[in-house]
Amino acid sequence: MPPLEREELPFDVVFVGAGPASLAGALHLANLVKLHNSSGGNLGEIEIAVIEKGAEVGAHGLSGAVMDPKGLAELMPDFLERGCPVEAPVGKDAVMYLTGSAKFTLPITPPPLDNHGYYVVSLSKLLRWMAPICEEAGVNIFPEFPGQSLLYDGDQVVGVRTGDKGIDKHGQPKENFEPGVDLLAKVVVLGEGPRGTLTKELTARMNLDRRSDPQVYALGVKEIWELPDDRLEAGTVFHTLGFPHSGEVFGGGFLYMMKDRLLDIGLVTGLDCLDPQIDPHHEFQRFKTHPWIAGLLDGGKMISYGAKAIPEGGYYSIPRLHSGGVLIVGDSGSLLNGQRLKGLHTAMKSGMLAAEAIFDALVADDYSSDAMLRYSQKVKASWIDKELYEVRNFHQAFEKGRMAGLVTNGISFMTKGIFPKRLPIHAGHTRMRTLKEYYGKTDVQKYDLKFDGKLTFDKVTDVYHSGAAHDEDQPCHLKVVDTSICVDRCTEEFGNPCERFCPAAVYEMVGSGGDRRLQINFSNCVHCKTCDIMDPYQIINWTPPEGGGGPNYKRM
Amino acid sequence: MKIVVCIKQVPRRDDLLRINADKSWIDESSLSFEANESDAYALEEALRLKEKHGGEVIVATLGPSDASKTIKEGLAKGADRAIHLCDSTFEKLDAVATAKSLAAAIGPEAPDVIFTGLQSDDLGYGQTGVLMAEMLDLPHASIVIALETSEDGKTLRVKRELENGWFQWISMATPALVTIQSGINKPRYASLKGIMGAKKKPVDVRTASDLGLNADALTPREAIGSLYLPVREKQTEMLEGDAETVAAALVARLRGNGVI
Ligand SMILES: Cc1cc2nc3c(=O)[nH]c(=O)nc-3n(C[C@H](O)[C@H](O)[C@H](O)COP(=O)(O)OP(=O)(O)OC[C@H]3O[C@@H](n4cnc5c(N)ncnc54)[C@H](O)[C@@H]3O)c2cc1C
Ligand code: SF4
Repeated sequence: MPPLEREELPFDVVFVGAGPASLAGALHLANLVKLHNSSGGNLGEIEIAVIEKGAEVGAHGLSGAVMDPKGLAELMPDFLERGCPVEAPVGKDAVMYLTGSAKFTLPITPPPLDNHGYYVVSLSKLLRWMAPICEEAGVNIFPEFPGQSLLYDGDQVVGVRTGDKGIDKHGQPKENFEPGVDLLAKVVVLGEGPRGTLTKELTARMNLDRRSDPQVYALGVKEIWELPDDRLEAGTVFHTLGFPHSGEVFGGGFLYMMKDRLLDIGLVTGLDCLDPQIDPHHEFQRFKTHPWIAGLLDGGKMISYGAKAIPEGGYYSIPRLHSGGVLIVGDSGSLLNGQRLKGLHTAMKSGMLAAEAIFDALVADDYSSDAMLRYSQKVKASWIDKELYEVRNFHQAFEKGRMAGLVTNGISFMTKGIFPKRLPIHAGHTRMRTLKEYYGKTDVQKYDLKFDGKLTFDKVTDVYHSGAAHDEDQPCHLKVVDTSICVDRCTEEFGNPCERFCPAAVYEMVGSGGDRRLQINFSNCVHCKTCDIMDPYQIINWTPPEGGGGPNYKRM
Repeated sequence: MKIVVCIKQVPRRDDLLRINADKSWIDESSLSFEANESDAYALEEALRLKEKHGGEVIVATLGPSDASKTIKEGLAKGADRAIHLCDSTFEKLDAVATAKSLAAAIGPEAPDVIFTGLQSDDLGYGQTGVLMAEMLDLPHASIVIALETSEDGKTLRVKRELENGWFQWISMATPALVTIQSGINKPRYASLKGIMGAKKKPVDVRTASDLGLNADALTPREAIGSLYLPVREKQTEMLEGDAETVAAALVARLRGNGVI
C-alpha cells in the first residue's frame, strides 16, 4: 500500500480501552478540570478521549463479578442513587472444596474471600452505565477505534495511532478504506486490560519490566445461565477449589447469582500449567458435570459465553507504570488482587490516581517521565499498594501445587503477609512441558468428555453465544511469525497446544501428510489474549482487528 | 439536491433473540442495536448523490430516544441534520402509521429524493417506503440495486431487482422515492473527525402532536397477537412389513389424516 498522509487530531489526554480503569480515570479528570476552572483556575477546555476496540462500550467487558465498591464509591459516592446497575448486594457467601463427586463447604469463609458489603455486578452493564456519565462530563468516547500503535517523539509518547478500516484479506484497501488517524496527546493512558497490545510494545521498548517479575496469567472461562426458578437468591456467591483441576493446576470456580434468574458460572485456570494438553474451556465443561453444579443448572439454559485472561502476578509483576507522556492503569499494570479475584476496585482507583497525576501535569504543563512519576508514587502511597503487598506471594505459592499454595497462603494470611518473603515466579509459557517430559510419550488424549449440548457445549456452540464476529474480509489479526514450526516442531514437542488453550476454536490443524497446516478461524476470536500469552514459542502476536470486531457481551 | 434518508434502528442481526414474558415482543434488555442494514446502504447512496450534486442530506428516524445512537452515526458519516420522531405515541406502529408519521415530517421539507431501505430487518414489512410515496404523491421505485442521475439531477435511472435473475431499468423524474436493496454500494465508515463533528449537527426532535397527528390516526390496523419460536414438529414413523402391508398401512394412514 502506498504511504499515506494520516490525519492528526489533537487531544489533551487519550485513554486506550474503555474498561473500568479508563472510564473512572477519564471521568475523574473531567471532574477535576471542571472544579479547577470553576474555582478560578485557567486550564480552560481539556479535551479527553477514550478509544475502545469493541463495537460499543461494554461489548468487550467481561468480569465475574463481585465488586468491592471501594473504588467506585471514591469516584462517585452516590453511585447507587445515580442508578448504578448492581445486580444485588452479596448475600449468602460460601467457599466449597470439590472432589469428583462431593463438595465440602468450608465452615467459615476465609476472610480474603468474604464478600459482605460487596455487590454482584455485570461489568458489561456497569460500563454501559458509566459511558454516558463520562460523556455528560465532556469526555469523548470512540467505540470501534482500536489503538494500533503508540506515537513517539524520541522516547516521549505523543499520541496513539488508531487502526485502519476497510482493508481486505490480502492487505489491499477496499473501496471504503478509512485510514487510522493519529490522536495527538500530552498524556496517553493505557487501560487495555490484561496483555495490552500497546502496553506490551511500550514495556519492551522502554524496558518497563526490568525490575519486575514476569507476569503470569490465568484464563477465566464463563457462561451465563438462565435458571428455571428461584433456586438461588440474587446475590448468592460461591467460590470453589478442587475439581475439575488436578492438584498442580492453579485455579478455581465461581458462581455469582444476578437478577432475573441469571447465574454467572465460570472457572479460572492458570495459564502456567506444566501440562501441554490443558484446555481451559474443557476444564470448565467438566466443572459443570460435578453433581452439585449439574443439579444447580438442571432445567436451566445457557444464554451467553465469554473468556478473558486475568493477570495473576500481582505485586512483584507490576512494571514501571509510567514513562514520558504515558501511564499504565488497571489490569494492564498488574494491579489486580489475584487472591480475591478482584481487580475492578483497583482498576478504578488506579484510573483516578492517573487522573490526579495528569491534572498536576496539565497545571505544570510538564509531561516528562519525571512528571509522570507522580502517578507511580501515588499508586505506591495508596491502598492499592498496601492491598497487593499483603498478598504478594499468592500466585507464586501455587507454583508447587494446590496444597503447598494453600498452606503458604495460610501462613501469609496469619502473618499479614510478613511471611514468606519473596517467592519466585515464572512466565507461564516457560513452564509448559513437552509431551515427552510430561507424559513420557507423544500420543496423548487427555480428555474424554462428550459434550451433550445441554449441560456441556463444544467451543463452536459456546462462541456463538459470545456474539463474536469479525468482518471476514480483513487481514487475520493473529500474527503467527513462523507457521512452519506448527507442522513439525510444535506437533512433535507440545502436540499443537493452541488447538486446546484457545477457548474459541480459532486454531485448527487441518489437512494431513504434506498438506498439514495451521488454519486460523480468526472470526471466532473472543479477544481473551490466551494465545499471545501461552504459546510456548512466543510466536503468536495478538493484534487488534478492525474496530468493532470481537465478542458482543451484554451481561458479562 | 435535497435528500432525505429514512433510517430505522433495529436489533443487531447476530443477537440472540429471547421472547419477553408476555410473548408480545422480543426481550430488548438483552439486545444491542444498529442501523437497519438496507438503510445503511440507502444512507451511503444519499451521501454519494450529495457529493455529486451538492445540497444536503437529512436523516429521518422514527424510534425511541436511544435511536439517537443510530442518528449520530448517520451524521458522523456525513448527513447534515436529522429529524427524530420520538414520542410514546410512536411506539408499536404498523407500516401505515409509520409511513403516515414519516410523511408528515418529511413532506414539508419538499426533498428531491427520499431514500428508504428495502425493508426493516426486525418486522420486515417492506411497505413503509412505498406507502410513504403514495401518501406524498411521489413516484417510487423499489428494490433498487443501482442508481444513476442525470447531470442536472432532475432524472433518476434505477435498476430494480425482479424475480429469477431478471432486472428492470427505469427512469423517473425527481422528486421521487427509492427503496434501496442491500449491496448496492460499499457503505463508508464513520471517521473520528466525523464523529466529533456530529455532535454539533442539529437534530430536530418531533412528537406526534408537533406533526399534527393524534393517537387515533396512528392506531395500528394490525397487532402482534403472540410471538413464539418455531417448534420442531417433524416426526418420522417407519412402516414395517412387506410391500403390500406397508402400502395398505400407508393408504389407511393417509385416509385417516384426511389427506386422501
Ligand atoms: C473471569 C473473570 C472474573 C473476574 N471476577 C472479578 C470479580 O469478581 N471482582 C473484581 O473486582 N474483578 C474481577 N475480575 C477482574 C476485573 O474484571 C478486572 O480487573 C478489570 O476488568 C480490569 O479493568 P481494566 O479497566 O484494567 O481492563 P478491562 O476491563 O480489561 O478493559 C480493557 C478495555 O480495553 C479495551 N482495549 C484493549 N486493548 C485495546 C486497544 N489496543 N485499543 C482499544 N481498546 C482496547 C478492551 O476491549 C476493554 O474494553 C475478573 C476477571 C475475569 C476475567
Ligand atoms: S485466538 Fe487467542 S485471543 Fe482469540 S480467543 Fe483464541 S486464544 Fe483468545
